Amino acid sequence: MTKEERLKKRYRAEKRFQMYGLISVSCALIFVLILVQNIFSKGSSAFSRTMIEVQVNFDSSLLGLDGPVTQKSLKDAEFYDLAVESLLKIYPSKDTKEERQVLRLFSPDYEYEIKDYLIKNPNKIDQIVPVKITASDDIDQLNKGNFPRDLPEDRRRVSNYQLNIYDNLVEEGKIDKKFNNYFFSKGDSRDPELAGIGGSLMGSFFTIIICLALSFPIAIMASIYLEEFAPKNKITDFIEININNLAAVPSIVYGLLGLGILLSVMEFPRSTPLVAGITLSLMTLPRIIIPCRASLKAVPPSIREAALSVGASKFQTVFHHVVPLAMPGTLSGTIIGLAQALGETAPLILIGMVAFVVDIPSTPVDPSASLPVQVYLWSEQAERGFVEKTSATIMMLLGFLIVMNFIAVYLRQKFEKKWN
Amino acid sequence: MELNNSKIKIKTKNLNVYYGAKQALFDINLDINQKEVTALIGPSGCGKSTFIRCINRMNDVIDICKVEGSIQLDGNEINEKKVDVVTLREKVGMVFQKPNPFPKSIYENIAYGPTIHGVAENKDKMDEIVENSLKKAALWEEVKDRLNEPGTSLSGGQQQRLCIARALSVSPEVILMDEPCSALDPIATAKIEELIDDLKKSYTIVIVTHSMAQAVRVSQKTGFFHLGKIIEVDSTEKIFKNPDKKMTQDYITGRFG
Amino acid sequence: MSETGHTVKSYEEEMQSLNDNLVMMGSLTESQMADAMSAVIKVDKESVDKIVKSDGKINELRSIIDNQITTVLVKRAPMAVDLRITISTMKISHDLERIGDLAKSVAKKVKPLPVDLPDELTASLRRLGDLVQKQLKDVLDAYLNKSKEKAIEIWRKDEQVDDLTNLAMNEVATYLQKDKKNLEMATHLLFVTKNIERAGDHITNIAESLYYLIEGEYLKGARPKGKPVESE
Repeated sequence: MTKEERLKKRYRAEKRFQMYGLISVSCALIFVLILVQNIFSKGSSAFSRTMIEVQVNFDSSLLGLDGPVTQKSLKDAEFYDLAVESLLKIYPSKDTKEERQVLRLFSPDYEYEIKDYLIKNPNKIDQIVPVKITASDDIDQLNKGNFPRDLPEDRRRVSNYQLNIYDNLVEEGKIDKKFNNYFFSKGDSRDPELAGIGGSLMGSFFTIIICLALSFPIAIMASIYLEEFAPKNKITDFIEININNLAAVPSIVYGLLGLGILLSVMEFPRSTPLVAGITLSLMTLPRIIIPCRASLKAVPPSIREAALSVGASKFQTVFHHVVPLAMPGTLSGTIIGLAQALGETAPLILIGMVAFVVDIPSTPVDPSASLPVQVYLWSEQAERGFVEKTSATIMMLLGFLIVMNFIAVYLRQKFEKKWN
Repeated sequence: MELNNSKIKIKTKNLNVYYGAKQALFDINLDINQKEVTALIGPSGCGKSTFIRCINRMNDVIDICKVEGSIQLDGNEINEKKVDVVTLREKVGMVFQKPNPFPKSIYENIAYGPTIHGVAENKDKMDEIVENSLKKAALWEEVKDRLNEPGTSLSGGQQQRLCIARALSVSPEVILMDEPCSALDPIATAKIEELIDDLKKSYTIVIVTHSMAQAVRVSQKTGFFHLGKIIEVDSTEKIFKNPDKKMTQDYITGRFG
Repeated sequence: MSETGHTVKSYEEEMQSLNDNLVMMGSLTESQMADAMSAVIKVDKESVDKIVKSDGKINELRSIIDNQITTVLVKRAPMAVDLRITISTMKISHDLERIGDLAKSVAKKVKPLPVDLPDELTASLRRLGDLVQKQLKDVLDAYLNKSKEKAIEIWRKDEQVDDLTNLAMNEVATYLQKDKKNLEMATHLLFVTKNIERAGDHITNIAESLYYLIEGEYLKGARPKGKPVESE
């Protein structure tokens, strides 16, 4: 082969290699786009909920009030009768069966929605006011176009009668979609239209805080000790090997650990962010130690020598100079470790965070779910309404992970600018 | 040949240094005179850097390094366990081959040493220390308006003078310089040599250099090292005009190798 | 002096070339001196022009050597023995040039001399000339062999040169007292004698430079000087 032929062959090989790279990247991008598109198309509808406008007659006589109308007396009053009376007026019904069907057009919370309205606007007492009330899950899904209408009636969740009412209401312009703040403010619920991630959001939040508070200081101290102060002998080598191994242990094993020790032996309250935080911190520990050690190793010896030569002790050298320079890498590693912890499901299931919890937890020792566990729970539900909620929760999770990664990149750049 | 009859600042006796099983310095007996510049020359790997690192106990950070023998500073033994290296390094400062300012502001670079030794009672006193150190290092005029900028934003020559100022900030008595100009251009080198000329009035300086011409220019006494031994040590004029040992002559005239 | 050569070959070659040029300059000066002395003793007026012209070659060599030295200084920053060689070569070449000039002056004085120069006038002059020529030859040999002992010997012999000079000058003075008509001739001869003595001084300088080159120290003490002979 002549020199020119060899050269041509080399160039061709390089071009081929570039193409392979490009194809790989494109494949990866396509997969990501498909995933994102899938989730977004399913989940975006969760951010709105269908409302039905109803003329509510705030007839004070139906409230059974004793004295004058005050906030307190309104809060104590029963609104069921008032609600039903107004709701049934939207369409003629000939028997109780049909009445029940009319009421089922609305979300079971209708009573409280009407009550809340009056409490916010007490001057509307004894007036007839149009109020928007959340539609039921079936109507919500119907309105979003997720229910096929051409199935025979006995295979449908919505009866013909209800369909008629719905079409009527649509014609009258009383069906509307509103931003679904329930998704964020409410906890879990049997009714999809009332279900929200409020509870699991707080649960994840507490879990991550506890995980961070436990794992970060321990990991940093351990790394500093191992890297700077521990004598270089077989024992430290042994510890290092084991830490690396710990990072590779499947997360469900940590769940077993949590179950076995925290719940069985130490009898911590089940299903709480406290236990979840402790369990996940065990898992996150090696994931912080490894980048932290790498960052410490990467600090050039010239800085250490400079500090020592001015009369700094070993301790001062490490904490005044080496550790600050190792911070960018450490923080990046920490945030990535936390992001991974945020998405952990298996260990949390084992320690019982699968409970159906309606109330939003206010402390880390209140039972709760976490975001990924919530995804798991909702994905198991039958109702159609939970499908969009599941996807929407995944969108939220992805959003948080992206934000955390951006924070990691930003912090890293900020610290590295100082270093340079 | 007349040696400057001044007091001896540093005295080593039977100094032997080992890196693990390998011996790096053999029976070094060397006197360093005070307020004078002593140059150490010799081919690479002959032990010059190892020697000066013994004087401020920097070899302590290398686990496998063993230092045997006596090193005396002002007549006090410094090669024993009970000596506090932190106090020693206040007295014996060091400037390295590649400038290594801290990744902090110019002010903080100088202020670090005095801060950890608790030398300055208040901010005014610290400002004074910083200003004096920078003036002594002939850097004040160039940086007085940008003390808060990072030390790494300076040029190579300025960074090295910053490191010298940093070493001066803790008021040492001895300054060790390990090839301080090898990473600098000729103009920066000239400024540092001028600085050394000035500093020797107040400090004892030991400088390791690969440049023969520099050794002649800046030092009053020169020691020639080879393979861990001192071959010849004498006044700089004698060494470079008429050395006693053939090996010394061969080295400085470029007949080595 | 150092058996090992410089690691950089061109440095070695430069120093060798310097040495060779100096040796050549020495030879030229030696023959100039011999020719000038011979011309005086034999009153050979034909050879004078040739001698005067040849001095140009010696001057030229001095320029070449000066240039080479400047180059070595700027290029090599010579140390120790190299430094001493460089400086001494410069000094020696200047001394050799002066000797060449003095030989030329001596030769020029041959033309006004009478052809029948009486022998008794030139007896000591001849001995002086022989001594100085021998000194010159010896010092050039000493340079080639880098012999410290020979350098000291030559340095000490300066005393003899002084003595012979005084003797030669006395002879002329004595002759003049007898026959006052020959004042001009006597003056020329005295001039020639003085020049030869000065050549001897320069040769002693060369010996001193050589000693410094070898030893790195200067010869101590004053040069031994001959005692002036009282005139009768």
